[in-house]
Amino acid sequence: MKTSAFRIVKSFLGVCTLAICTGTAGAVTIEDVERSFFPYESWTPEFPGYTAGMAIDQTNVEQFKEILDPGMYEHIKAGRYVMQTTQTESLALHQNYIEATRKAVASPPQLNANGTVDNFVAGRPFPEEPDVADPNAGVKIAWNFKYGYNWGDNAAVCPMYWKLRDMRTGNLERTMRFCIHFLNMKHRVNQEPLPEFKDNPGNLYRAIYLIVNEPFDLSNTQLLMHRYEDDLKRDDAWLYLGFQRRVRRLATGQTTDAFLGTDMMIEDFESYNARVSDYDWKLVATKNVLLPFHHHNGLSLATDMPTMPDGFKFVDFGGQGNCFPKSTWQLRKVYVIEAAPKEPGHPLSKRIMNIDAQTFTIPQQSMFDRKGELWKTLTNTQAYPDDHHPKNKGSGVSINDGFASIDVQAQHCTTGQFQGLVDPSLSPPSLFTVQGLRTKAH
Amino acid sequence: MARQKLRGWGAVRHALSTAGVAALAWACVGIAPVQAWSTVDGTLEVHGFVDSTTHGRAHGLGLSKQRFRGQLEFSKNFGAAGIFSSLSAHGIVRAVYDGVYDLNSDTYGDEAGGQVMGASTGIPTPNGPLLTPWGSSPVTAGNPALPGGGGFGFDVAANPNTGLRKVGRELGASSNTGQFGGGLELFTPVRPCNVDPRGCIDGYLDFDEDDLRFPEFRDDHRWLREMYVDATIPFENGNELNFRVGRQQVVWGRTDLFRVLDQVNPIDFSVQNIYEEFEDSRIPLGILSAEYRMGATAMFDDLNFQFLWNFEDFQPSVLGQGGQPYNILLAGDLFRALGNCWDNGCTVSNFAGLSPAGNLATDFPAHTLGIRQANVPDGNDQFGMRLEGVFKSVGFSVNALYFYQQLPSLHAFQPPAVNPFVGRGIPAAALPPFLTVGPETVFGQEFPRSYLPAFDIEFPRVLLVGASGDFYVDQLGSIPLKSVFRVEVAHTNGEEFPDTSKPGMYSTSRVMRWVVGWDRQTFFRTLNRNRAFLISAQVFGEHLLDHNLIETGTGSIGMPNWKDDFFLTLLLQTNYMNDRLNPRILTAYDVRAHAGVVGPQIEWLMSDNWQFILAANLKFGTARQVFDNNASANPYPPFTLPAGTCGPVPSANPPPCNAPTSSIGLFRGYEPLGRFRSGPIGMAQHEDELQLMVRFRF
Repeated sequence: MKTSAFRIVKSFLGVCTLAICTGTAGAVTIEDVERSFFPYESWTPEFPGYTAGMAIDQTNVEQFKEILDPGMYEHIKAGRYVMQTTQTESLALHQNYIEATRKAVASPPQLNANGTVDNFVAGRPFPEEPDVADPNAGVKIAWNFKYGYNWGDNAAVCPMYWKLRDMRTGNLERTMRFCIHFLNMKHRVNQEPLPEFKDNPGNLYRAIYLIVNEPFDLSNTQLLMHRYEDDLKRDDAWLYLGFQRRVRRLATGQTTDAFLGTDMMIEDFESYNARVSDYDWKLVATKNVLLPFHHHNGLSLATDMPTMPDGFKFVDFGGQGNCFPKSTWQLRKVYVIEAAPKEPGHPLSKRIMNIDAQTFTIPQQSMFDRKGELWKTLTNTQAYPDDHHPKNKGSGVSINDGFASIDVQAQHCTTGQFQGLVDPSLSPPSLFTVQGLRTKAH
Repeated sequence: MARQKLRGWGAVRHALSTAGVAALAWACVGIAPVQAWSTVDGTLEVHGFVDSTTHGRAHGLGLSKQRFRGQLEFSKNFGAAGIFSSLSAHGIVRAVYDGVYDLNSDTYGDEAGGQVMGASTGIPTPNGPLLTPWGSSPVTAGNPALPGGGGFGFDVAANPNTGLRKVGRELGASSNTGQFGGGLELFTPVRPCNVDPRGCIDGYLDFDEDDLRFPEFRDDHRWLREMYVDATIPFENGNELNFRVGRQQVVWGRTDLFRVLDQVNPIDFSVQNIYEEFEDSRIPLGILSAEYRMGATAMFDDLNFQFLWNFEDFQPSVLGQGGQPYNILLAGDLFRALGNCWDNGCTVSNFAGLSPAGNLATDFPAHTLGIRQANVPDGNDQFGMRLEGVFKSVGFSVNALYFYQQLPSLHAFQPPAVNPFVGRGIPAAALPPFLTVGPETVFGQEFPRSYLPAFDIEFPRVLLVGASGDFYVDQLGSIPLKSVFRVEVAHTNGEEFPDTSKPGMYSTSRVMRWVVGWDRQTFFRTLNRNRAFLISAQVFGEHLLDHNLIETGTGSIGMPNWKDDFFLTLLLQTNYMNDRLNPRILTAYDVRAHAGVVGPQIEWLMSDNWQFILAANLKFGTARQVFDNNASANPYPPFTLPAGTCGPVPSANPPPCNAPTSSIGLFRGYEPLGRFRSGPIGMAQHEDELQLMVRFRF
């Protein structure tokens, strides 16, 4: 009996320890799921003095510092940008993704001692409201981002134009034209095969393929990234260089280097493009922050860009040096995350990410150099799929419509203007192989 | 046309002014930023560039390249068509004019070369060895010591002492003499083949002035650089069968600067020796590539099988013709010198005499030694296979290629050659009894002779089998490597190498080549705060499994190539101004040759359209190596035995003095075989250059 009692106590302590370590003590409920996906059902974010529709500029920026990303605050304070606000609106993700999250409530995913996720099938792994006091709150949010419905099961952004500008003068230095494709190999919720591809010996979670069409010196440059389901396993990346006509495997360092000389690192793609385990994640606060969400078709779109054959036009840019998207900004519920890279040689000391609580996209973040000084801001505008390209209607994807990566120190920016298309036919699996790089090369 | 002589800083000034004029010209005509042109539906896209490349060579050699180049590239995507899930066509059209043959015509054009003097170390003078004009050597026609006066000498009227240059003169040795009993010296005609046809090898290295000026418009229509159709047939299981048919580049391998597996397309070394990007120096060929793409399988992350058939006529690598600014190993100079020797006769310094104390310049008659012809195979029967994929994050390939050796092999013995030691008009019956009476001893009667440096150029069959891999290593124990490693290994069977111990002067050897490459991105924040440096190092190894080197007691004979050779390369590159200012430095070192090169370069992308590259290519090391020059071979027994070996010529000698024998390695020199030890870097020590390229892209 004595032994049994000891075992019971030991077992209990063991469970408790595991629970404390992994943060699975609180049971997830369907209500948690509903609150996570529909935060604006019966609530509208507010801030004293703020009214939707107002403009935030140099004259009133101090009043709204609390609801601004620190980098955006600096931009507005310096007179580089006037932020045009609008009503907060819900952006509902695809019902299949939400349903997958609901299904997981009965047997929810768990964060293990390695900081990775067990028992995850699909959907949002941690829909419960995070608690700042929970030391794992940050990493769970990171997992929600990683397994988010970002571009759905697959999508293509084609074309996307990147422009390199001197922010001081507005001088347009380079224009690049890309196509980028995404494919989830696992945890798929919407497109066959579900929930994953059968032949996946490497156990990939996701693959990204990118090809540069212009300018000519970079034409045919292609990038392929493989992210593994095992988050502790390093990504693999390959670069096809047109002038060499061969595939080069990328060292990991090259994903934290300026990509093709732009103000973006490969790690910045889709706001954050690395493993969860590459950073330490800390939830700083849950609060209301202004984020760039817009109805694409309701914007005043770019007139200095080519119009696509089907009439699609690109989001426009303005502000100092034409470095800022002419988006509308909504006051939204945000998880403010401080993410610090574990790698000592990483060029960043931390990222302050404003993660949208409904979509788990990262529309706005600030990056700090090794000295802790503000280095870059990265804005990724989010568009409502039903007011975007006709192909995206009903896709339930928060459409990344453009970006602005601004090097505050160098007063330089790279802007991106996207035609994002949620269309499985544009991203066949054959595109995401090393051989696919050679195939596309010519 | 007015001729200019551009040398030293004059060449540099010319380069800078050319760039400036080009830039100004474009600016003046108000060229706005231009992008690629494409149709509204985006299925047809056309872009290209024009550029000017200027190379100024040090050591008084002046301008070595003034190339104006235009290139148009197009891609037409037909989308899905019939059984094909995708169908597209791609092409590259290129035109080049290299003005160096007009602007520096007295070095590389129709006024190049001059008179030459043959050296005789055997006749020393207060100013060094006796120097005698081409065709007037101490050993020439009318030698009283030989039967009938011998048959030496050649027709100087038909083969005059003009437009000639000593092979290897650029390397700095004013006279290849003073050691090793006096090294051989050969002399090559250097003017374009329409101006001076001497030594031009029909169908191989026979470029006239327009061929040199406009290399894309030679007979093989190189202006149509690439043109192929790409078609993919999908299968229900997701696999694909892809065909790419037409003139194209097929790139195998994972290395820079030197090729191990990347052997499908030959290389045009006349563009810029080994330093041109392979993209520009590979010679595209008509190839059918069929590729079965399995993608991810149960075992592999990616798996593909490729079959290649090169259906276009065989094209050897272009070495550069004698007289061209770039001819790798100076082989083009040597070949042209030897071609002239065969066709017209020639003077060779320090040949006759066979004495370590010194030898004599010798005038060989035609059809005695040299290169008779090049037998270029049709060669539309080259095949390749490759299995390529990714397994557990390791990229791999297994390759096989059955092809023709792209570098020439010189076969001696086959060309019947005349015996110059027997004079014209001596009937066989009148010859001394110690000579085997027969056609081989009658002047004018050509007869195959062992160990005689009279060659045909051949391109033998080679079977290459190899493999490659690349992988990333994040951590090695506690060491943060964060590096990519690239490995290639190739085994060839059938390659041929010079071999002075063999009657045919060549032998085959199996060869293992390998390379290990290491790439790492590393921040040096004091030099570049936000952008990493790419450090890329490579070690190449070459091992001749059947290497043949024989110590005779008087020297080494056999293969001049090193049994084991190693090359090291190091690339350091970073980027400033958002990759618009891109400095890099590339170095390479040939370990056995003790020869190296350092190539600093800075690229400035002024805009999407304008690109400027300023570079240098500087050599260091000990340059030239020596090897047995075969002068102690005995192809004409007993005349060609070293003095005293078999008694005074032409006294009777018993066998084996009457049997041809190989060199005994008594005489060594830079020429002709030392080049195989010096390697492509050592043999280009004179090619120190300042280079400027201006390109406008559209």
